[in-house]
Amino acid sequence: MPHYYDIDDILTEEELMPVVFQKAATGVGLLDPSSETNNIEQGAKVELPFWLAAELQRRQAAMMSIPPCFNQTTRKEIQADAGSVDLRSRCPYFYELGSKIALVVGDQTIGSFLLYAFMNRYKEVLSKSHTAAFAATTKPLILLTKEETHLYEAAHSSISAFKKWRMGGSRYETSSFIGRKRKPVE
Amino acid sequence: MAGQSDPKLSIFSAAEMEFLAEDEMVEIVPNMRMEPLNLISGDYGPFRPQIPASVPYWLAVALKKRGKCTIRPPEWMSVETLTRILEAERDSPREFQPLPFHYVEISKLLFDHARDDIPDIYMVRSLIEDIRDVRFHKVETGLETISARTHAVKLKNLSAMEVNIVRPFVVRTLQAFYKHDSPEMIQQPSVTSNRRLPATDRGPRRDLRQR
Repeated sequence: MPHYYDIDDILTEEELMPVVFQKAATGVGLLDPSSETNNIEQGAKVELPFWLAAELQRRQAAMMSIPPCFNQTTRKEIQADAGSVDLRSRCPYFYELGSKIALVVGDQTIGSFLLYAFMNRYKEVLSKSHTAAFAATTKPLILLTKEETHLYEAAHSSISAFKKWRMGGSRYETSSFIGRKRKPVE
Repeated sequence: MAGQSDPKLSIFSAAEMEFLAEDEMVEIVPNMRMEPLNLISGDYGPFRPQIPASVPYWLAVALKKRGKCTIRPPEWMSVETLTRILEAERDSPREFQPLPFHYVEISKLLFDHARDDIPDIYMVRSLIEDIRDVRFHKVETGLETISARTHAVKLKNLSAMEVNIVRPFVVRTLQAFYKHDSPEMIQQPSVTSNRRLPATDRGPRRDLRQR
């Protein structure tokens, strides 16, 4: 369970989901840009952020459908060559959103699809992150989702810290605690 | 025990690893006369000229810097031993050779401070670099085998620095796989759902390296 103030979790739930209203709703016309009145009619198709869509789904006021980043086209692309699919532009929180959707929509295929995608893309991240320590490669990062970027950064920073240590440098560093100036007392 | 360089994460920086490695013992040959040192970590000495004494690396380096001793490089730090280890590392793609736990740090310490005490230093240095590269490549290819069914990784004979480098990556990877493979995400096929495995039994444990 993520932390309440976890910014990644908040941003995940901001992702827009296609939703079909099962009931007419009055006074919420701002949710539907194409609506001329201030009401939403029954059967209207609207895009809502996940946190709102999930609540409406729970109250059976609207039906959530699967967003485009989990449709058949994306699945086929992942099956063809997982490493080169640009998931970042489709949904930067691909895995997190996927696992949330799977529970709400009840689509059992999403779980195994996520696992398959991660397993195959993980190998790409692994091979690139440890070897490309010196070359300033930003290209692989363009394709990666948030979670994969974290992985890449973890490997990259530890190996570059090691290389820096091996090259030498100052043997003793002053602790941040020592260098700190005392705050003036007013 | 956790590193101090980054308060949020429990990882060590390379310099902290070096600090830990300095507690390993090494033989020195002093060229001065000194009474035994009685320290909290133990008693070292007495120091007599030309009589070898066993001290931790930090003391050896401090004495060496002042020109008070020569350091005897450890036994494994010879061209013959290292060549043999390198051969063995190359020949066995699935296992690591036993080396001192802190060999990366110790070799750097000696190369920095006791260059004149190591015979064939250029050869020794390049051999150690080669060994490290070969071993790290093995770690990488081993990590490729991590999959959804892995929830523990066993790495025998891996050294402190090597573990430290891959630690953040491996921990995150295992967490991610664990999350994606949780029973509520991956439903069992409905045919077998009535005799579902208990959640604790998540397949056989996969060793990264069999030994």
